[in-house]
Amino acid sequence: MSLKLVRLDDRLIHGQVVVGWGNAVAADRILLIDDDVAANDWERELYAMGVPPEMEVAFATVDDCVDALEQSVNSKQRTIVLVGDVNTLVRVCDATDVVKRVNIGGIHEGDGRAKRLAYVFLTDEEVQALKKLEEKGIEVTARDVPTTKPIPLEDFA
Amino acid sequence: MKRGMIESWLRILLLQASWNYERLVGVGLAFSSEPLLRDLPGGKEGERYRTAMSRASQHFNGHPYLMGLAVGALTRTEHDEVPTETIQRLRTALAGPLGSVGDKLIWAGLLPACSAVALVLAVWISPVAAVVGFLVLYNLGHFALRLWGLSAGWSSGLRVAQRLGSPALKRGLRLAGPAAALCVGFALPIVAKWLLRHLDGHELIACGVILSVGFILSRWLWPTLGGNRFGLAAVVVALVLGVL
Repeated sequence: MSLKLVRLDDRLIHGQVVVGWGNAVAADRILLIDDDVAANDWERELYAMGVPPEMEVAFATVDDCVDALEQSVNSKQRTIVLVGDVNTLVRVCDATDVVKRVNIGGIHEGDGRAKRLAYVFLTDEEVQALKKLEEKGIEVTARDVPTTKPIPLEDFA
Repeated sequence: MKRGMIESWLRILLLQASWNYERLVGVGLAFSSEPLLRDLPGGKEGERYRTAMSRASQHFNGHPYLMGLAVGALTRTEHDEVPTETIQRLRTALAGPLGSVGDKLIWAGLLPACSAVALVLAVWISPVAAVVGFLVLYNLGHFALRLWGLSAGWSSGLRVAQRLGSPALKRGLRLAGPAAALCVGFALPIVAKWLLRHLDGHELIACGVILSVGFILSRWLWPTLGGNRFGLAAVVVALVLGVL
């Protein structure tokens, strides 16, 4: 299967993802699932610019992510899936069951969020939503860069 | 030219003075944006100036030489009354490409290329020529980027992606790596020959052995022991043996 990483990161495409994770899982494709980015020319242009020429980048809304994800699973390409917020992640996991593991790479301070790890800030509702994903059998761990150890959800939330 | 442009440009030179782990260059971004935000309706006491400044000082990252693009584009969106949510999204989206374009263009292109040229100048002309040559060449590229960035950012606002993706910059990105490789490849034999100029047969063979071992080890054990670390280790061993 060629879904190498499903990552929750509010910075979406940036150096840690492209260089750090891109090399670690030898990814050659990024699938970015975000309704706002998918609907917005200038945002797509900017994010596409952060991707090196040897990597492919695709954008999808949550509504059309099921096809895109299933294609990624069956393809030879090694895909990194990126989502920018917990709500999007939950909707993606509700829409399809191809996601077995989720990597929390960075959610930053704002709107009533409390610090859980140096790079993870979550509201109580977001923590509940992530716990529900675990109950569905999806493994949720936090890990900003591949050189660190993954931290299980129950250890920080 | 927009009022405050020159002051803002000068302030970007100091951008990293307030670098910190929590906000990276966020505070520097606000400091540099401030001259361009003073004439928002209501002035320095006004609500728009205050919200713009507090927004500007939040977490942000980007290559320092390209930060003019961010300062220009983001202050422009404040003047154009772009919705808060959109400005936040532009901030987030800008950080990635500003970093990766800068890394490729400068750290993996301009800097090694100019260093290689300086080494050749040191061998062929004089150490002083190397220092002067490096500073002039490097800063031509450096200041060209800075001069272009702020006005390009200001004139494009939300469309700043078009400037970052302009044909000239794309060509630059394509050429930066190969140009650096060409310069370094050209400089290496010249510098090596100069460094080895006083050595006799046996010493040359010893150098060859160390080089081969280093090459094989650093390919084999990368990234734990890359070329840099092997080189440094070899220098330390040589120093210790020299003292003994």
